[in-house]
Amino acid sequence: MTRSFAVVTDSTADLPDEWRTRYGVEVVPLKVLFGTETFRDGVDMTNEQFFARLARSTTLPTTSAPSPGEFAEAYERLSRDHDGCISIHIGAQLSATAEAARVGASSVDGFKVEVIDSQTVSMPIAFLCRVAAESETLDEAVAAVKERVPKTRVLALLDTLRYLEMGGRLSRAQAMIGTMLDLKPLLLVANAEIKPVDRVRTRSRAVPRMVEFFRSEMPVETLAVMHAQARDEADAIATQLRQELPDMEIPIGQIGCVLGTHTGPKALGLVYVKK
Amino acid sequence: MAAPARTTGTGVDGQLFKRALLGSLSWLGSNHEEVNRLNVFPVPDGDTGTNMLLTLQSAVEDVKESNAAEVSKIAKLASHGSLMGARGNSGVILSQIFRGFARAVEGKSSLTPAELAAAFEEAANAAYRAVNKPTEGTILTVAREAGRAAATAADSPDASVPRVIAAAAAGAKSAVQKTPSQLQILRDAGVVDAGGFGLQLILEGMLKSVEESDSAFGNLEAAKKPVIPAAQISMDLPEGGWGYCTEFLIEGNNLDTELIRRQIEALGNSVLVVGEPELVKVHVHTDEPTRVINLANGYGKLLKLNVGDMSTQHRRIIETEGGRPSAPRPNGVGLVAVVAGRGLVDIFRGLGVDAIIEGGQTMNPSTQDILNAIEALPYDEAILLPNNGNVIAAAKQVVGLTKKRVHLIETHSVPQGVSAVVSFRQDRSGTENERAMKTEAERVQTIEVTHAVRDTRSNGLRVHKGDVIGLINDKLEFAGDDYATVVNQALNKLGPDSYELVTVYRGEQASDDELARLESEIRSQHPGLEVEVQHGGQHHYPFILSVE
Repeated sequence: MTRSFAVVTDSTADLPDEWRTRYGVEVVPLKVLFGTETFRDGVDMTNEQFFARLARSTTLPTTSAPSPGEFAEAYERLSRDHDGCISIHIGAQLSATAEAARVGASSVDGFKVEVIDSQTVSMPIAFLCRVAAESETLDEAVAAVKERVPKTRVLALLDTLRYLEMGGRLSRAQAMIGTMLDLKPLLLVANAEIKPVDRVRTRSRAVPRMVEFFRSEMPVETLAVMHAQARDEADAIATQLRQELPDMEIPIGQIGCVLGTHTGPKALGLVYVKK
Repeated sequence: MAAPARTTGTGVDGQLFKRALLGSLSWLGSNHEEVNRLNVFPVPDGDTGTNMLLTLQSAVEDVKESNAAEVSKIAKLASHGSLMGARGNSGVILSQIFRGFARAVEGKSSLTPAELAAAFEEAANAAYRAVNKPTEGTILTVAREAGRAAATAADSPDASVPRVIAAAAAGAKSAVQKTPSQLQILRDAGVVDAGGFGLQLILEGMLKSVEESDSAFGNLEAAKKPVIPAAQISMDLPEGGWGYCTEFLIEGNNLDTELIRRQIEALGNSVLVVGEPELVKVHVHTDEPTRVINLANGYGKLLKLNVGDMSTQHRRIIETEGGRPSAPRPNGVGLVAVVAGRGLVDIFRGLGVDAIIEGGQTMNPSTQDILNAIEALPYDEAILLPNNGNVIAAAKQVVGLTKKRVHLIETHSVPQGVSAVVSFRQDRSGTENERAMKTEAERVQTIEVTHAVRDTRSNGLRVHKGDVIGLINDKLEFAGDDYATVVNQALNKLGPDSYELVTVYRGEQASDDELARLESEIRSQHPGLEVEVQHGGQHHYPFILSVE
C-alpha cells in the first residue's frame, strides 16, 4: 500500500467485505444487546443470524457505540505502520460513535486522527471511505470527504415504523404517521436530519415511489441499493436502475445488525452521494 | 302573531306563504319517521325524512321572524335558510326547489293562483337543472308532477290558491305511488321513493295550513326542536382562540345588506349578512362581539341575539379528543373530513386532518356544518373529504358558498377517505394534492358489512331482516348468516390475487369473537393477503374493510 494514512470506519457503514481488503479500511464494530447478551456487529453474529433472532425475540435488542477504549486500541495498532488516520463515522445525531472515536483518539499520543461526522448512515459512509482511500494524502482525503458529507443521502423505505419508533430515533408524528395505521414510511436522511418524504399504504406501491423520488435527486456520483432480508426486491430495483444508468456501478448491500435494529426487517434503501 | 289566513279570492302574499311553510314543517315533523322507513337499501341509513326535516327547519328559521308582506321576501329567506341547512341528497334537492321558487317569484308581493302554479313548475325545473344526472322516480319527478297538476288546476275557471296547492299535493301523491314503476331498486325493495314522499308531505302541510286557518298553529311547537343534535365540528385551537360566534337579526327600514356586510367584515371572519331591507340576518366570528352589536344597533332592532364563546366549546372537544396544535402547513392547504366513530376520528386526526365534522351514514352534516369547519380553518385553501355517499351533495354546495378555495374529493367511504388522506403531501400544492388524492381514492376497494334493516330484494338478492349483508363499493352483493362468510365471498368476488392488504375497521357492535373469526377466515382463505385490524368504532357497520 502506497498511502501513509489509515482509513477507519464503524460497522454501520455496511462496508462490503470485499472493500475492506480492496481499499484497506479498518472497521470498528458497534454492539447489539439482546437482554444481557452482547454481540459485536458483523463479528460475533452474521446478518442472517441477527434477523432470525430479531424475528424470534419478544423484546427488541438495543444497540451501543464502541467504547473510546476500543477506538484507542484500533488507533494504537494502526499508528505502528501509518502516520495518521481518517476515521469516518455514523452521524453524531444518531449515535455516540463519533464522539467515542474523538475521545479515543485523544488518548493516542503522536498519531493524528481526523474524526469525520458523516451526518449519515449505511453505505454512504462506505463511499466516503472509498473516496478517502483513493486520496494521496490525509489532508486531501479529509477535504474530499468533507466536501461530500453534505451530499450524502439515504432514502429508506421501512416496512414498518415500529423499530425506529421504539428505538427513539423518530416519532410517528415526525414521520407524518401520527396514526395507528401501519403505513410504510419513506424517509430521507440528509444533512444530519431524518425527514419524511412520503407515506404509502402498501409495499408494492411504495417501491415505485422510492425509485420515482430517487430520479428527482439525480445526478448522483455513486449509488447503492440496500436491503434487510429483502434480496429479491433489492435485485429487481438494481436491475431497473442499471438499465437507466448503464455507466454506473450499482452494488447491492446488506443492512447490518445495528442499523437493522432500527429499520427492522424488509427495509429497502437507495443510498447515494449527490453530484 | 299572524293574521287569520286569507284564502279564497286572494293571492299568496308573504304572510300566507310563511304560514304555509310553517304548516309544512309541522306536517313533515309529525311524519318524518315514516319517510325514514322508506330507505331503498336495507342498510341502516334511513334518514331521508330527518334530513328533509332539518333542511326545512333551517328554511323556516328566519322566515318565522319576518313580518314581510311580500311573498318574494319570504321565499328568499326560505331559499337561503334551506341552502345553509341542506343535509343529505334529498335536503340538497329540496333547497334547490326553494331556490327555484324564490327566483320565480322575485319582485312579486303576491301571487295569483296561476303565478303560484308557475312558481311550483319553475321550482321543479330548477331542481332538475341542479342535478347532474336526473333520475326519474325520485323527488325530481314528484316535484315536476306536482307542478303540472298545479298548472292544470290554475287553468280551471274556478281556480284558487287552496285548489292549486291541493292539486299540487294530489299530483305529488300520485307521482309518489308511481315511483316503484320507474325505479327497479324501489320495486325490488317494495317501497316508494322517500324523498318524493317527503315532498308530498311538505305540500300537504301547506294545504292544511291554508285550509285550516289558525288552528294549524297548535301543532307547530312540536316540530321546533331539532330531532338530532347538529353535527359537531372538532378542530385544533388556533393561537388566540376562536373568538365569539355572534348571530342576530336586524329589523329595520331600508337596511343596506351590502353596507352592513362591509362594516361587519372589518370586525371578524366567517361573515354572513343576508336578507331584505326590513330584516337582515347577521352571522360573524369575532373577538369583539360588543362592537358588532353596537354597530348593528344603529340600524334597527336586534332580534334573536346569540353570542357563543367558541373557544370554550372547542377547548372541551380538544381536551376529550386529545388533540394538539399543529404547525402551519407549508402549502397552506387545510384538510377537512366528515367522519363518525371514535377510532376513525383518531385515525383521521393522526393522519393530519385539521377539522373533523362528526357525521356520516346516519347523521349527515348540513352544508352549514361543513361550511363552518372550512371557514374556521386557518388556511385559505382546503381539501374536503365527505367519506360517505350521503354527504357528497351537501359538500358540493359548500364549494360555491365560501371565498376559500375548496378541493372536493368525492370519497364515498372511509377506506377511500383514508387512502386519499394518506397520499396528502405538505410540499405539494392543493391542486396537485387533489389530483393525487382522487387517484388514490379510486384505487381502493371498500367492503361494508352490516345487517339488513328489513326484508327486501336488491341487486337480484333476497334479503331478510337481520341478515348479514355485504356491500362492495356501496353495492349490495352478498347476504348470509355470519360476517366471516360474507366477507370471504366479497373478497373472492374482488379477486384477492390482485390485492395485498386488507384493513379491517372494527365497528362498535362487533364482538371480540366475531373479530377473531373474521380474521382467521381471511387468513386461512387468503393466505396471500396481509391483514391489519383497526378500531373504527363506527356505528351500524360491524366491519368496514379496505382492500388494496
